[in-house]
Amino acid sequence: MSARPIHIALTFDDNFWAPAYALMRSICLSSRRPQDLVFHLIHIGLAPHHRQTLELIAAEYPARLLHTDLAHHAAYRDFVALLPMARPFTPVIYARLLLDRLLPPEVERVVYLDCDTYVRGPIETLSELDLNGHPIAAVLDPGRHKAMLGRDFRQNRELFSFNFAYFNSGMLVIDRAAYGQADLPAQTRRLHDSGALARIQYDQAILNLAFKDNWLPLDFRWNLIWPWPAHEVLEPQILHYTGHRKPWNLIPSAAFANAYRHTMTNDIFYAFWRERLRRRLLSPLRRLAGRG
Amino acid sequence: MDQPHSPIHVALTFNDRYWALAYTVMRSICLSTTRRKQVVFHLCHTALQPRHAAVLDAIPTEFGARLAHYDPTANAAFAALVASLPATDRFPSIVYARLLLDRLLPPGTERVIYLDCDVMVCQPIESLYDIDMGGHPLAAVFDPFHLGIKKGRDIRTKTTPFDTGDRYFNSGVLLIDLPRYAAADIPARIRQYADQGLLKELFFDQDLLNRIFHDDWQPLDWRFNVLNPLPAHESMHPAIVHYTGFRQPWKLGMGPGTAFGRTYRHVMTNAVYYRFLAERSPAWLRPVIGWFSRSGAA
Repeated sequence: MSARPIHIALTFDDNFWAPAYALMRSICLSSRRPQDLVFHLIHIGLAPHHRQTLELIAAEYPARLLHTDLAHHAAYRDFVALLPMARPFTPVIYARLLLDRLLPPEVERVVYLDCDTYVRGPIETLSELDLNGHPIAAVLDPGRHKAMLGRDFRQNRELFSFNFAYFNSGMLVIDRAAYGQADLPAQTRRLHDSGALARIQYDQAILNLAFKDNWLPLDFRWNLIWPWPAHEVLEPQILHYTGHRKPWNLIPSAAFANAYRHTMTNDIFYAFWRERLRRRLLSPLRRLAGRG
Repeated sequence: MDQPHSPIHVALTFNDRYWALAYTVMRSICLSTTRRKQVVFHLCHTALQPRHAAVLDAIPTEFGARLAHYDPTANAAFAALVASLPATDRFPSIVYARLLLDRLLPPGTERVIYLDCDVMVCQPIESLYDIDMGGHPLAAVFDPFHLGIKKGRDIRTKTTPFDTGDRYFNSGVLLIDLPRYAAADIPARIRQYADQGLLKELFFDQDLLNRIFHDDWQPLDWRFNVLNPLPAHESMHPAIVHYTGFRQPWKLGMGPGTAFGRTYRHVMTNAVYYRFLAERSPAWLRPVIGWFSRSGAA
């Protein structure tokens, strides 16, 4: 038996059940300490048969799975009620702002991961990282300029500048106590009251404003945004499939797409694909029937 | 050189065809730096249309940086130099102005960053300006396409004085120690090459500089001059992207195939992008571009 537990948090809804499975399996496959892994699955609207599939991880590996259903959290419901949202995002993206309140009390350090990521390196490297006194560690976002400043980079200048060190919030190494001290719900309410919240891009902008110049930058390979096949030789540790080229598409063109499918397993890959196809075919009919 | 309040000198050489690109380079530097009021742009160019010059002159208003204009054609040394050198549409005589920066810029300027106008700066320019040059007159980035440049088709058809194993840099991004650059007496070296019959074997300014400063330059990290930048390069945090090759983000529909193609357009600003696009398009296409511009497409 080895040392401390390795806490990993995922927040998702039923649309991402299969990527959540692939992500957990990728972590188990690449960790040297799968017996220490504790997955905190924070979700909403997860179908029972999808939840059963996620539990297969604990059957295949000695990792633990702890579920938190956000449907039972009044604090979450009240919090997201005031927040802006646009497709393709859903309110669950804001759950990461409440991690210090949602996780069990014994968790001191947690690695948060978006469900469109894929881990290829030992996750314990992150969970045991020296944060040098910072509340979080993350990777600079290569698409930050437009996200911060909008068209011609002339918007939101009172909040951001072109050289603002703006991280991507899809991978965060979090010191739970320092994260809690930032009181992100209060900061969010202040942004809401000032009218700024409607002009910025969701949880990521809130986190960046809250932790301005107070985060540890990591090598880009720990959160490789928009991964192309050309990146494969660079040995990325975590791939982040932002953009339209997702590895769960039938004809993918992203880095490590084939490895991703085998990590998700072919059965789940095709089940997930059939589900999305059915939903896409049925949604116009539902709209016609006034149910969608 | 590491003085937080000292000026950061940046030189661009261009003609009126590249006015909008020069504007974008300057705006990208001003947006990325933390010392924008210390940036001094030395613009070496032939005659510009007044409406183009007015756009360039808006940079100090928006950012507080300084701007100085120079006409190299008024410099006798420049006129004498270009008389002996080839020029084409793609490589007009103004490209040689970088060879005479020690004579064109104000006396006392110790260090300057030279940039081609087809680049965009993504990180603070001071991270390049303050680099230790190790006593060399130049710092630059290896050119990954050097074999073809040196030896042509099948890496054997072109005759140049370079060995395929020679270190060879791209001259689109140069950090220059001006006193050492001046000491090399570039015009005299070029006259010498002319006498030796070597000029016809040299590929414009880049070959000349590589010949003159052979093994006397400081290699920089590749991120300071990412040639032919593709979307895959975006996540590697490049400091300067250099839009060589066919795909260039100021061309219609080319943005998505390049690194930061969309960012480039917003650095250029949409107004300048559409104006520049219209200027270079046939007359029948201009009303369509005007419609796109008014509809706010980005």
